[in-house]
Amino acid sequence: MGTIILMGVALTLLLISFFKNRKKTKKSIIVAKKMLFETIINVTGLLLLISLVLALIPDELIKSLLGNSSMFLSGLYGAMIGTVTIIPAFVAFPLANSMMESGANFVAIAAFITTLTMVGFVTLPIEIEHFGKKFAFYRNGLSFVLALVIALGMVIML
Amino acid sequence: MKKNKKFKIYFIVLFFYVIVFFISREKFFEAINSFFLVLKDMLQVLPPVMILSGLISVWVPKEIITKNFGKSSGLKGKLISIFIGSVSAGPIYAAFPLTQTLLYKGASVENAIIILSSWAVMKVPMLIVEAKFLGMPFAVSRYLLTLPGILIMGYFASKLISRKEVLDSIDSLSGRVLEIEEILPGFNCSGCGYSNCSEYAEAIFYNNEITSKCVKQREEVKIKLNELLSDE
Repeated sequence: MGTIILMGVALTLLLISFFKNRKKTKKSIIVAKKMLFETIINVTGLLLLISLVLALIPDELIKSLLGNSSMFLSGLYGAMIGTVTIIPAFVAFPLANSMMESGANFVAIAAFITTLTMVGFVTLPIEIEHFGKKFAFYRNGLSFVLALVIALGMVIML
Repeated sequence: MKKNKKFKIYFIVLFFYVIVFFISREKFFEAINSFFLVLKDMLQVLPPVMILSGLISVWVPKEIITKNFGKSSGLKGKLISIFIGSVSAGPIYAAFPLTQTLLYKGASVENAIIILSSWAVMKVPMLIVEAKFLGMPFAVSRYLLTLPGILIMGYFASKLISRKEVLDSIDSLSGRVLEIEEILPGFNCSGCGYSNCSEYAEAIFYNNEITSKCVKQREEVKIKLNELLSDE
């Protein structure tokens, strides 16, 4: 749904731009095309690798990590799993629900969802390409810590 | 050399996939399936985002971005950053090109971090889905903790990383200061208020100084500079 609106907005603006100035529009498309190809080339290799690793990790292991009796440890494991995992958001929530039903700690789930969306191991190469090493490492590091704080803060809130 | 390094991972990955294929067909197809699921997501969301950031880089003048997202944009800048992130669709990597364009055009590091983070987590449609699967109290309390968290993180990040460092590490921008300097007449007359042309060039690139300050050949220089700067 959101994606369709996004496509609509992008296409409308592109058309307006095209009627106003063809040369500038062409330039913007060249910029866009270059960015798209670079991103895909930079990410697919790592994405294939992570997909394989995640398929090979037994479900029981993840269950036992996220269901750890220590709140902090289960939160930490949740944050780590969320960091390396890359899945679309619409898959993530049903998955989180089934993990919770099979015994995962809610702290672990909160940490998992936060790092899943904010911290990206697979996308680190493109983040570095866009903003440099320092920015990428600090942003991901701070987000990881934030995810843990949020997850543990949930204990007080709930 | 950089190219080779990029493609090396494909050979390694291919090798592992072949091994897994012979050991377990089931795991092999599970991996392939989850790969295509993410790839499909990427191919849907990336092209429109790339088009938008391409259009911004060509059409929106630097002054506007600096005013709304720059260091002195204050609370308003932060609110616009959160708004942009939360109305956009797609995962965080879709925000990279757009945020890079904004940063290059004058946004502060703090606001760049806020846009990226709220793009990743602060979304109304996502809140509804989260509430549906994990319960309203869970979703709402996670959002309530995340919002101040993002602002605090933006503040810390801006103390740790300078905008100059980020701009310097963007490959496609290297040499930009020299290009600006080449356009300037090189009289080092100080008419612009800087002690020489290269200081003015640095101020234009790093601090978004306006392009009309050169007193020699004012119009010509301004037009050439604006053309160069709208390139990215």
